[in-house]
Amino acid sequence: MGWIEKKLRKVFDAPRKHFESGGRLEKLSPLFEAIEDVFFFPAGATKSSPMVRDSLDLKRFMSFVLVALIPPLLFGIFNTGYQSRLAADMSTALLPAFATGLTIVLPIIVVSYTVGLFWELLFAAIRKHPISEGFLVTGLLFPLTLPPTIPLWQVAAGITFGVVIGKEVFGGTGRNLFNPALTARAFVFFAYPAQMSGNSVWVAVQQKAAGSVDAVTGATPLAVTELQAPFNSIAEMLTDQGYTFSTLFFGNYPGSIGGTSAFCCTIGALLLILLGIASYRTVLGTIIGLLATGFLLNWLATPQSPPWFSVSPFYHLAAGGFAFGAAYMATDPVTAPGTDSAKWIYGFFIGALTVLIRVVNPAFPEGVMLAILFMNMFSPLLEYTEIRLRFKKRIPHV
Amino acid sequence: MRRANAQIACGLAFAGNPQHRVQPAAKPKTVAAMPERIPLLKARLLVENGDHVKIGTPLYEDKENTDIVFASPGAGKIKKIVYGPRRVIREIVIQLDDEETAETFTPYPPKELLRLSPGALKEILLKGGVWPVIRDIVYRKVADPAQTPAAVWMATDNQDPFHPPAETWLSSPEDRRFFQTGRQALEILCSRVFFCRCTDFPPLDPEIEKIVTHRISGGYPREDPAVIHYHSKTGPDQNLAWFVSGQDVRLLGEFLESGRFPVRRTVAVSGIPVEGRYVQTRIGTPLDTLAEPGKANGHRWVVGGLFRGYSSVPESHLSLYETALGLIEESGRRELLGFMRPGYNKPTCSRTFLSVFNPSPLPVDADMHGSKRACVNCGNCTRACPVQILPQFTYKCILAGEIEEALSHGMLDCVECGLCSYVCPSKIELCRTFQETKQAYFRQRI
Ligand code: SF4
Ligand code: SF4
Repeated sequence: MGWIEKKLRKVFDAPRKHFESGGRLEKLSPLFEAIEDVFFFPAGATKSSPMVRDSLDLKRFMSFVLVALIPPLLFGIFNTGYQSRLAADMSTALLPAFATGLTIVLPIIVVSYTVGLFWELLFAAIRKHPISEGFLVTGLLFPLTLPPTIPLWQVAAGITFGVVIGKEVFGGTGRNLFNPALTARAFVFFAYPAQMSGNSVWVAVQQKAAGSVDAVTGATPLAVTELQAPFNSIAEMLTDQGYTFSTLFFGNYPGSIGGTSAFCCTIGALLLILLGIASYRTVLGTIIGLLATGFLLNWLATPQSPPWFSVSPFYHLAAGGFAFGAAYMATDPVTAPGTDSAKWIYGFFIGALTVLIRVVNPAFPEGVMLAILFMNMFSPLLEYTEIRLRFKKRIPHV
Repeated sequence: MRRANAQIACGLAFAGNPQHRVQPAAKPKTVAAMPERIPLLKARLLVENGDHVKIGTPLYEDKENTDIVFASPGAGKIKKIVYGPRRVIREIVIQLDDEETAETFTPYPPKELLRLSPGALKEILLKGGVWPVIRDIVYRKVADPAQTPAAVWMATDNQDPFHPPAETWLSSPEDRRFFQTGRQALEILCSRVFFCRCTDFPPLDPEIEKIVTHRISGGYPREDPAVIHYHSKTGPDQNLAWFVSGQDVRLLGEFLESGRFPVRRTVAVSGIPVEGRYVQTRIGTPLDTLAEPGKANGHRWVVGGLFRGYSSVPESHLSLYETALGLIEESGRRELLGFMRPGYNKPTCSRTFLSVFNPSPLPVDADMHGSKRACVNCGNCTRACPVQILPQFTYKCILAGEIEEALSHGMLDCVECGLCSYVCPSKIELCRTFQETKQAYFRQRI
């Protein structure tokens, strides 16, 4: 280790002078610092009391979100390859499927990170502040919400919108009102509906001859049930199409790259909660809100009401991007309320709105995205209300 | 007679707890008074370079209330007066005589003490220069003698790592008598004198245990008088309270009984490079008599606890209120891939390091462990705050210049414990901001 450390030290020390103020590459110093900080943990001394500080910093905090994203990421890569090979009638064994998936997913992630980093760096250089680690999370969250067939230029446009409009215009990580990854996703969704409308999510097909990524439509479970369905028949219809509850739960169906597997998202959410990074209040809140609304609609359902009214709420839980949204997007601390009761309410409404959007407005089967963005908007209000109520209990200093 | 390792409220224990052994220190060559370390004080010198002073001679006074004077902690010649930025008086160094003389005041043994009126007692304490040991609970400055507090708290236990436990300075019958006299004096000043002890500290003499009014458990800063006062006050009329640290209660008693300014201090010296121990020394002793500077190279000298204390240098002296010196490593070494290490030995209040499985006390250093970022609203600070402030929101109010809003958030309840700054992953100086804003608010109000 000592040897590697010395070599690495040299790698950073040699070009340092160019990045210091007055150097040729002064503008790039946030990038240099960010990279150096990854390898060599910054060691600044405490200047004011308390003289000791916790070992946890934001880099580690955010890195754990990346760690928690590993299960849906790996599964997403495999599933993308699997669906693509399935559509092309090729063998769907684990390794080849994974390899195919990798060739499809990796470029999307690389584009997302590169373009995102470019904007991040531009703003860091202009504002003269360090690059925030929040970007690492956004850069990976966004691709995982996309369908695998998305053209790369749309990835670039989306992440640009997310980083610039979703975050930087507000002042950067920590000051943004909306989750940047979701903002990016919403932008792509509304700007390029041809590729993103929920009616058909696309399965990437590896065309043997051309070797290019092309697209073939395949219905997603939420789209299947959007067709006119007789009363109480949705579950059967889904099952007929191969979408049994367990398929939906484990996520082996075409959909967004990382969002299909409720199972993988559950693992990620549990990890985040165990580590104390995500709040269990938000996550439980979303689940309770979703189930409560689902059961309420079941109870209200009549043969005349839209078909989704009568579907079991557990299908809502497992289907679509709900689990992904609840685990990784709703729990984003920056855009969620910071107070405890407000988190419950915030979560509850995300769950409730997800169901309502899915059921009542079939044009947006991925209701969770809109539900979270909508609640992002209300989170300051929820926070404010809770803070007001808390003050009432305080003994004032007059 | 060992006590548990100092814990902070999240259950974290720091290594370096001194062994229980009280050593008398040799007489130092110099002592110093440190006006800079008295919060919110604008000091005016009453002596000059070269003057000869006795123990108890007033050295400086409060410009805003000239009744408040500060007694000299030694007898001898004023050797030098050190100024800091903006002419703040940093140190008044006294070259000690071999045979020290002391100012004498009328002694008040308990019987006579009880006949004194609050006004008369205040005058005696003010004249004797011992009044400044009574402090205001909100601003942690010297108490204003013109005010009537709702309560006075005596604080013998201090869990800020690492302070001397009560049994190190309250062991002899004489100590206990002084302590009781000090308490009686406080009872003359205020009818509600409270005495809080930590349940996990070993019991003291039965006579002392008898006067305990509150018991609390939990780590630092649960035992802090300001925290306990916050949780026990019942209305806005009780906001104003005073506190006196345990050794200072004893000091008050000794002053009243003997008629001389007592200078004894028992100090905890802790840290990996020194042999952690309790030293019986005196107010204003040079720090290099407590620890050997050579051995402590590359270490930060923290006077006071690691949370509330301040950085100092070996050439400096022990200020009036402090009874602890901690040496913690300050290496500045940038650890390779530091942020992804499992961290079995890294102290943290979070659950993101393997150290959550490590029950032993963990080594600490004077490192920020990260660089400053914007607040991500993680809520760690809110969970840590002992007085139910929401530091992240209060902090934002202050940055936005909304002081009224910050006040309604309970900013004046902040006990300046530093836990919020400690836990913040974005390394925001929350505590310092609150402290400075409180002080600015106080200055502006008068
Ligand atoms: S705001 Fe911070 S410094 Fe003040 S009491 Fe709360 S935790 Fe302690
Ligand atoms: S601990 Fe720091 S980052 Fe977290 S909410 Fe408090 S101020 Fe913000």
